[in-house]
Amino acid sequence: MIPRFSCSSILASLVLISHAAGKNGKLTFFESKIAPILEANCLECHNSNISKSDLSLTSLKEALAGGKEGAALIPSNPDESRLIQYITGPDPDMPKKKEALSKDEVELIRKWIASGALWPDTRVLREKPKADKSWWAYQKLSKEKPPSPANLPAAWNKNPIDRYIFAGLTEKKLQPNPPADRHALIRRVTYDLTGLPPTAKESEAFVIDASPNAYRKLIDRLLASPHYGERWGRHWLDVVRFGESIGFERNGIINNAWPFRDYVIKSFNDDKPFDRLTLEHLAGDVMGPNNPAVEVGTTFLVCGPFDNVGNQDPVQKAQIRANTIDEIIRATGEAFLASTIGCARCHDHKFDPILQEDYYSLYATFAGVKHAERVIAPAAAKKSLADKLKPLTEKKEKLSKEIPALEKLIMARAEKKAVAYDALYPRPATDRYGTEETFPPIRAKHLRFISEGLDTNPNARSGFRLDEFEVWTGGDQPRNLALASNGGQAEGKSRLAGGFEGAYDAKLTIDGKFGVPWISSSPELTLTFAKPEMIQRVLFSSDRLKQLAKHSTTTFVGEYRIETSIDGKIWTEVANSYKRKPATAAQREKRFLKLETSADERLRLKVISAELKKVKAELAALPDLPKWWVGQYAEPPEKSFHVFTGGSPQRKGATVLPTSPSTLSEVVPSYQLKNETPEKDRRLALAKWIISKDNPLTPRVLANRLWHYHFGTGLVDTPSDFGYMGTKPSHPELLDWLANRIHQNDWRLKNVHRDILLSQTYQQSATYRADAAKIDSDSRLLWRFPPRRLSAEEIRDTLLVVSGKLDRKMGGPGFRLYQYLVDNVSTYVPLDKHGPETWRRSVYHQNARAAFVDLLTEFDCPDNALATPRRSSTTTPLQALTLMNHSFTVEMAGFFAERLQQKSALTDESAPVVLESQINEAFALAYGRPPKPKEKKAAAALIAQHGLTAFCRALLNSNELIYLN
Amino acid sequence: MNEQLHHQSRRHFLGNIKTGLMGVALSDLLLGDLSANTSTTTPGWIPGRGLCHHAPKAKRVLQIFCPGAASHMDLWEHKPALAKWHGKPLPGEEGLVSFQGKNGNLMKSPWAFQKHGQSGKAITSLLPHLGQHVDDIAFIHSMHSESNTHGPGCVFMNTGQPTEGFPSAGSWLSYALGSANENLPTYISIPDIRGEPPNGKANWSSGFLPAQHQAIVMNALQPIRNLKLPAGINPKQETASRDFLRLLNEDHIERNPGDSNLQARMAAYELAARMQLSAPEVSNLKSEPRSMHQLYGTEDPNQLKAAYAKNCLLARRFLERGVRYVNLYCASRASGVDGLLNWDAHKTLKSDYERHCPVLDQPTAALLTDLKQRGMLEDTLILWTTEFGRMPTHQIGTAGRDHNPDGFTCWMMGGGVKGGTSYGATDELGRRAEDKPTTVWDFYATVLHLLGYDHEKLTYYNNGLDRRLTGVEGKVIRGILA
Repeated sequence: MIPRFSCSSILASLVLISHAAGKNGKLTFFESKIAPILEANCLECHNSNISKSDLSLTSLKEALAGGKEGAALIPSNPDESRLIQYITGPDPDMPKKKEALSKDEVELIRKWIASGALWPDTRVLREKPKADKSWWAYQKLSKEKPPSPANLPAAWNKNPIDRYIFAGLTEKKLQPNPPADRHALIRRVTYDLTGLPPTAKESEAFVIDASPNAYRKLIDRLLASPHYGERWGRHWLDVVRFGESIGFERNGIINNAWPFRDYVIKSFNDDKPFDRLTLEHLAGDVMGPNNPAVEVGTTFLVCGPFDNVGNQDPVQKAQIRANTIDEIIRATGEAFLASTIGCARCHDHKFDPILQEDYYSLYATFAGVKHAERVIAPAAAKKSLADKLKPLTEKKEKLSKEIPALEKLIMARAEKKAVAYDALYPRPATDRYGTEETFPPIRAKHLRFISEGLDTNPNARSGFRLDEFEVWTGGDQPRNLALASNGGQAEGKSRLAGGFEGAYDAKLTIDGKFGVPWISSSPELTLTFAKPEMIQRVLFSSDRLKQLAKHSTTTFVGEYRIETSIDGKIWTEVANSYKRKPATAAQREKRFLKLETSADERLRLKVISAELKKVKAELAALPDLPKWWVGQYAEPPEKSFHVFTGGSPQRKGATVLPTSPSTLSEVVPSYQLKNETPEKDRRLALAKWIISKDNPLTPRVLANRLWHYHFGTGLVDTPSDFGYMGTKPSHPELLDWLANRIHQNDWRLKNVHRDILLSQTYQQSATYRADAAKIDSDSRLLWRFPPRRLSAEEIRDTLLVVSGKLDRKMGGPGFRLYQYLVDNVSTYVPLDKHGPETWRRSVYHQNARAAFVDLLTEFDCPDNALATPRRSSTTTPLQALTLMNHSFTVEMAGFFAERLQQKSALTDESAPVVLESQINEAFALAYGRPPKPKEKKAAAALIAQHGLTAFCRALLNSNELIYLN
Repeated sequence: MNEQLHHQSRRHFLGNIKTGLMGVALSDLLLGDLSANTSTTTPGWIPGRGLCHHAPKAKRVLQIFCPGAASHMDLWEHKPALAKWHGKPLPGEEGLVSFQGKNGNLMKSPWAFQKHGQSGKAITSLLPHLGQHVDDIAFIHSMHSESNTHGPGCVFMNTGQPTEGFPSAGSWLSYALGSANENLPTYISIPDIRGEPPNGKANWSSGFLPAQHQAIVMNALQPIRNLKLPAGINPKQETASRDFLRLLNEDHIERNPGDSNLQARMAAYELAARMQLSAPEVSNLKSEPRSMHQLYGTEDPNQLKAAYAKNCLLARRFLERGVRYVNLYCASRASGVDGLLNWDAHKTLKSDYERHCPVLDQPTAALLTDLKQRGMLEDTLILWTTEFGRMPTHQIGTAGRDHNPDGFTCWMMGGGVKGGTSYGATDELGRRAEDKPTTVWDFYATVLHLLGYDHEKLTYYNNGLDRRLTGVEGKVIRGILA
């Protein structure tokens, strides 16, 4: 009984007891009769994680402790036991969401309670998942030979893949399609392997290549193309939810994650063994310290979204940290194992044999990960820089100390004269609630306010706030000339407002309202009046409503001067703060120093400052070592790890150790580390376990992903979920055959691609057959090659190729199809115009989260808030609007037209001949085929009336361009 | 319509491909493979076909969202005890550290509360126009949230999950019901002119649902993207290009029978063209009479108010024409000054809300009045939401309140909702939901119930689970049903 527990090291002690129970009839009764009833009917709600009505029925202790209403049972007294009361009667209250218990079941429970409710102290019940360890995905890889179905055509007998597929078809009385024509085939396989269309020349060459290995040569050429990595790397980036902004509220952009994108592309191009890739993803820092090409792998761990808003609430802070690690656990489980381990966060997995302890073992494994950038450079480069830095840093520190030391001496002298010095500043200090200056009446059209220091920092001059600045005339009825409603204007640089310009504008100083301040980004505010008039008083503030004590929201000026002008050229000072009391001790010190410093000292300070400046310049001139978004790794603060009951860090349950998931314990050797095991060794151990030769899940999942991308649907059509909620494989033996092929090729993928691409299955035509569709409408059994729409990237890249504008530059920082705005939080505004710097392959787009981008997002390119193991392929009116009307398509249509013109400009043929050649050329570029007479005729009419661009724009929108057969 | 019928209409369409696309529900073609979408939990029910689980009370939704955590105790839930205990420590939680740090003593609301209507419901005197509607409103004063951070909080309030990547309520409805007007989008999000709400576009994302269920974004200042003909292309040329495109596509379809996606894409182009005609007509507010503009306040000298008023008017025009879900925002994101661009009154509650309330009050009230006048209140469900509440205390050194996920108010009105109701409550100081605590999942279980859906059965498979708008919980709030 309960084999599910027998392999969990954590629960090993329980196993002993349940075995011991066999010797005792009464315990066996509980184990064999009662426990299954409770587990199947009660535990969904009454467990230690959820405990509905505060009642948990997982152990005798908890059952006796009871819930809101008291003990659930009274041993030897079934009639008084609430459990019995709840499950009996004509319409029993429990179980709530399930069928009532059968009479027999109730009787068993009654009998058990009556005989004393024996239940071993250490026996903790758990709700069982729908699938146990016997689930297909957790079994060893099958080594069985491919089938030999009857009537197998000779061509289908060469490649084992075809034998599996043919057998499947035969079972449903289906026949495969004949081979696709060469034209369709080269288009299919070129997009499949490179994400780009074949050139007309390539198509032609392949179509006429009579050699028997023409197709194999084509595949070899494409697999060797650097564009292969761009296409297949992009697939992997979907799986590992690679995104280039932080997500959540701030959603700051990440500008140094692109090395990982390049690394993924290069890994695919180099046919890097996938086991190696896995090790680098989880423990690149351990595998290749100081080797950028290896260390970069750990970007995998930190390229998901995380909350960095800076919550001060300790409970929420702990929850956010738990969420951050949860994200890593999910990403790892889904990408490598197609296991939804995240579902075991709050309770045991409801469907798959994944225990809550398994989840928290992984928590312990990843607890040392921090989302951050790190210097990535070879050891020699790091040392060389450190050697250069050391003397300069030392010098800088020494000089930095000299200035305050000297100033301290000067201040000591000044303090002795403090009474006299302080007396120099008789006026009140500046006041955020309202600071006033009056001066002899002066005629002015302009007034400028110049900050010379903040009231928080005398050395900073901008960043202060003004909610209002008033300039008053004299007389019986004084008027505020600055007021916008009186014709005043205000100018001054403001903090950028991230998309809502005006949020901090200088105009806020003259709107007659308090509460919303101008936030300056330069020291000056200039006011202009409707006409020159006599003025004599100003009043300004940052918190006229007196809402705040000293607070950064109302940062103000401490030192300033005010000037006026008639013509805006000649300025007269009318007021300043120089006789005001200092706003801060720092300002006071600044003034005292100015008064007290002797000529010699001034010279000395000048010399030191000059030297300091020089050192700082030298430091700044040293080339920085690159910092990449690869995470930082340190021992976690936790000394031991626990299950979080119900997923809450505030409810610590049983302790856990960094241990291999129990799910596969029947087939993969387990490991168990200690609390003291360094965090990097935990990650390494997990990575090694994932790629263990005994682990059937990893190669199966990988094989399925290959199949998924080649055929549009995996053999398992839920590529990141091989559990109970996923679907079962359409061809389980084929999946295992492919997984074995991955092992046989030492985890290199290009040969496995070859296996698939060389199959007749892959090469058959996409032709629709109504009779076959009736049996298998979406061709899961592959009676035809399933046609597909191009992906978002393929569509955009195709437009660039056809118009002749694709910039094939690989790697480096990405381009952006949005404007990035920051003001505390980030806003991504899609661009209406895409410049030539963006005409690169779409995989190089800087993929920020929640930054919807026309063309890409609309055609289902994910922003990877969650991993996307399988993209949708939707059809929407919005796509039509974008492709018809966005300036990108229109521009590309123009370039396409130019391209046609340029080519024909070289000939001196007659106009109709030129037109015909242009139409032919356009069809060749867009579809790789000549136009039909009907098409030619319509095209000619369109061009004659509206020009080439109108014609090209239609081609770029056509179905044939973006659907593959 | 059952599945078979649907297939017939497709065949019918295929048969008529040459004669054009008239006479067929074009949007049907965009539904994709029905067998993939057909619910496993509700046999016989097919998404996107206008079908419900039970008879609906409401056919469309207007969701007004005030981002920044609009204070329950300063707007909707009167707490006289706060005035009584003003300046005293919060019992049992003295010196509490919350989102931005330490809290000071209790702080009364700066404004009086005013009773309205037959129900005598008291709300803040800052919202006199909205006060006129209290008899139609069901306030839920006992909401609580999972997050105390704006971004996750907003996303949670819109999608039922505090992390990004999940479909918003509008997307769920689009998925469930499908379109009611082929010429217009099903789900529209109208952000404030001050910018996007916290966490931006994740609030109206279709998450893992197919992309056609995402919101189309626009407001009175910003038309739907790519709706207009590009510069330099005149209508004649447009028609000619489209005719040629149709010829290419029809020919291609003839060569590739059996792929409904190809027809679907042609239908999408037709729908886009219709939208190009319809949407500008809907957003043309000039066709509204002067009295309407005055009612909403579209010409108010307060530019923020005028802009929001236009958005309100726009919302009504879209709802009237069959848009299923309109998400209308009043205020935006966190900025360089707390509470400046949204309801996040950390420091200067008084001046913040005296700016925000006049923007919200008249235009929203006008929208409610207008819907009522037109008889649309009968079958339009109106939701007023925010992501969480605020603390009864002030933040140290300020006259504002910090985030409080433990208690806040949302309200509903219209189709199937019992007006003049106040459901649940926070404790006497407003600190925590105490009477009938209500979750976001309960809220949406109720919304879906009113729309004719059993929230437990409206599911979509994604990575390991049949996902729901209501997570794994949610109970219909019976107490507010008419």
